Amino acid sequence: MAARKRCVQAFVELRSEDPEATSALAVARERLEAGRGLASLRRFRVFEIAGSELGASAIAERLHGSSQFYNPAKERCTLRAAAEEQPPAAPEEALVLVFERGGARRTGAERWWRHASGERVEVREGVVWALGFGPGGEPAARATELAATRDRAHGLFANPHFQECRVCAGALPPLDWMTRRDPRPARRGRRST
Amino acid sequence: MNGARVAVLQFPGVNCEAETLRALARAGLDGEVFRWTRPPRELGAFDAFVLPGGFAWQDRVRAGALSAKDPLLEALAAQAESGRPVLGICNGAQVLVEAGLVPGGGGVELALARNRMPDRDGYQSRWVTCRVEASACVFTRALEPGTLLPMPVAHGEGRFTSAREAFVEELLGRGQVPLRYAGADGGPATAFPANPNGSACAAAAVCNARGNVMAVMPHPERVLDLGAIARAVGGGGGARRDEALARGGPGPGAGSPGMLLFDGLRAHLQEA
Repeated sequence: MAARKRCVQAFVELRSEDPEATSALAVARERLEAGRGLASLRRFRVFEIAGSELGASAIAERLHGSSQFYNPAKERCTLRAAAEEQPPAAPEEALVLVFERGGARRTGAERWWRHASGERVEVREGVVWALGFGPGGEPAARATELAATRDRAHGLFANPHFQECRVCAGALPPLDWMTRRDPRPARRGRRST
Repeated sequence: MNGARVAVLQFPGVNCEAETLRALARAGLDGEVFRWTRPPRELGAFDAFVLPGGFAWQDRVRAGALSAKDPLLEALAAQAESGRPVLGICNGAQVLVEAGLVPGGGGVELALARNRMPDRDGYQSRWVTCRVEASACVFTRALEPGTLLPMPVAHGEGRFTSAREAFVEELLGRGQVPLRYAGADGGPATAFPANPNGSACAAAAVCNARGNVMAVMPHPERVLDLGAIARAVGGGGGARRDEALARGGPGPGAGSPGMLLFDGLRAHLQEA
């Protein structure tokens, strides 16, 4: 079996208040049973870059220097280059990853990367929602309930007819979260689906 | 106006309500903008409903996703259940799909996903030709199957798709795909640009089993005159446009592709 390519994750978040997260939080709280206890909601655009041999600071510089990834004037980017690094979410927040099935690759960004550094990399983009729940209940179960839309009263973040969603609570998400076929918990006894 | 009352539902970000009202008026129907702030029970005063195009709630989370959770949609579902016609155009179609009113078998069964064809994706604004299919849909059932209707599309997320691969084909078999994108030969379009988004079975519209709720991605309200058909459009639609212009003017409405769907709504309401 071929060795998996080294993968890094870039979390991109608006510097200002995110209207998309604000609206989603309001709708989830007011109209979805599983969203009633939702205390906070943040949204990140997430890139997974596989196949680069550059160091973390060089990768961060590449991301900063290209319009393919984010706009530093209005967004901030946090790079995760090692699996033990914490994403820019609180440890108690449940994370929901959403990406388009068969459509997450960003070929324009891949072309730019090859032009800029000579490296052939795979770039995928998705969205991570960070859900903060109030006390009580099971964050993983509630996040799972909110993740995939089933009907008007259940689910919000992904339409399972064209999107994949994965939930991670109480654990660190894998760096290759979008491509990992068997997303087992990063730490013993914690849940990542 | 003494026509039947039609509510044009407006969520913040909807931007095609004026053309939709104009289309309803030309069809002899009494259209009225119904804003999201009104009590949902007031929908009961209307005979039919249109969800126009635009970007409801800025397409936040996903096109149609937030509007689909609005209490108005619960009320609208009850109206649809009672048999009243509901038409969702473009963003309105996305709302109906996300709310599960189309195809209406219970729950969310479809998606209008990001446009994706080989080597082509993203927003598309262009003219397409739609072919009428045999269907019980109230908006198209007066039209002969095989009729070709040139209409504009303008969307980034219009690809009818389902997690179950054969599902859209099953809908087609059950007469729940009243319009399909057509190629130059009039057959279903499988490739860009005739199929602008990669939609399964070239579906341009999907309706519920009863035929009273239709989600259509092209914009019928933008082609109310034959003269509105773009010069680049050939075939029968182009010929009808040229004839109308040669007569000295396209004239309002008569025989224009978009009006045919609104005329279908009027005919249904007159029968009902």
